[in-house]
Amino acid sequence: MFKKNAVAAGMAAFASVALTAGCAVADGSKGSDADISEMSADELAEHLIFETDSFRDQEMQEGGDWADRMTQDELQQACSMKGDPDGETAGEVVAMARASYEAPENLELGDWRKGAELADSGYGYRMGHKNDDHSQRDPGGNCYNCHVFDPEVSEQGTIGPSLENYGANRGDGEAVRRYVHEVISNPHQYFPCTQMPRFRDGKEQLLTDEQISHIMAYLLDPESPVNN
Amino acid sequence: MFKKALLALPVAMAVGAAAQAGEWQDPNDVLQELLENNPDSDYLHQSEMNVMMMPDNPALWLVDEGEELFHAKRGPNNASLEGCDFGKGPGELEGAYVELPRYFDDVGKVMDFEQRLVHCMKELQGFTSDDSAVGKRHGSGSDIMKLTTYIAHQSSGMEWNPPLDHPEEQAMRDAGEKLFYRRGGAMDFNCASCHGDVGKQIRASVLPNVDTGPEWTKAVSWPAHRAGQDNVRSQNHRIRGCVWQMRHAGIKPDSPANTALISFWNDAARGEAAILPDLKR
Repeated sequence: MFKKNAVAAGMAAFASVALTAGCAVADGSKGSDADISEMSADELAEHLIFETDSFRDQEMQEGGDWADRMTQDELQQACSMKGDPDGETAGEVVAMARASYEAPENLELGDWRKGAELADSGYGYRMGHKNDDHSQRDPGGNCYNCHVFDPEVSEQGTIGPSLENYGANRGDGEAVRRYVHEVISNPHQYFPCTQMPRFRDGKEQLLTDEQISHIMAYLLDPESPVNN
Repeated sequence: MFKKALLALPVAMAVGAAAQAGEWQDPNDVLQELLENNPDSDYLHQSEMNVMMMPDNPALWLVDEGEELFHAKRGPNNASLEGCDFGKGPGELEGAYVELPRYFDDVGKVMDFEQRLVHCMKELQGFTSDDSAVGKRHGSGSDIMKLTTYIAHQSSGMEWNPPLDHPEEQAMRDAGEKLFYRRGGAMDFNCASCHGDVGKQIRASVLPNVDTGPEWTKAVSWPAHRAGQDNVRSQNHRIRGCVWQMRHAGIKPDSPANTALISFWNDAARGEAAILPDLKR
């Protein structure tokens, strides 16, 4: 995706160095062209992704190919540890996230009904044996996979916190709207290395500004079932 | 019928001298013991219906079909798979499935189960990738799933114990762990996004935790009949589905990245009894 070009170039260079080095010591190896036991686990993981034909050669919905999709940006790299980040990493990730955030032109709430549909939709960006076709259907927000919004709706996940009564408890003033927009856009500003995706990070935009306004309405509008 | 296979196994186990962690057990017995020993696991206890169905697991029908296929002379070479070495010697299937992936001298690399099966079908029987026998990987009607279910069943109740003695086995397991935690793709997910916590749900599904052995052995105990899909599915099918939902690029079967992930998966279940075949939601 658009965000990753600088890192992509670096990783590609790294991967080809690793492969060349592997070949030099792999003379006589029957099965592979690189001595994988000579690599660090990190080097081997990158080698397996980029140099072993392990992924389908497909164009991605956002543009770019499989390798662009699999190339990490700085934040993804920083958050690839087991468990929570240490204090230093957390601080760096928050700084990265704040640096890439762009405030919207306005913070008006959209239509909560459309927000509910987007929160429920898991369509979009899936590639491989079946490909999501964005010309047929807009990508959704996947929110129900991890969050409870409306206790009347069954099958909502618990990986993220429940958002029931979110607006009822906080109101829908400008400070709250700004915060909600920041969290949907790039939650790492407040929750470094959270599992939640970045929906509007710099040039990357999984949801349009209008779609985000609908989801904000679903959370904050006093009429929304989230708050009733 | 599969009862025949069940009766034959204890005899084979008694004769086979190789050390094996755990004895063969009926998959339903393995599951019942797991449930009794872990009464607080929301993951293990999420579907009473599936637990009830387990003695009549539709995957057991594939055991018999797979056994016939394994011994039949097939392919351009008119050969059976009795000469296939899954790591315990040609045709030795008891305990083989829970000790994969492993390094194979004849190919000079680490292979996972399905990759090894396909290797044998090509080398011994002469099938090519264009033949549906090896090309069709998914669905209860596929040769691959019948053979997989039969062969895996010979390791039911035994503990996951993938070897790490060869440097490449250790390297693939360690790289697989890196891949498991590697954030990436369109939505920044890694495998731990769903499998790093205990008792969390994606929608209505309670997710297994990679650090909780009794949950993780059920998580990686494929082949399993998936009630919601009415088909027996493999480890490869689970990986493909997860990676697709994670919005990474499409991962290929028999590929080194896929094998590394399985190396880490099966190592994370080490010491826990395998449920083969299992039944899942």
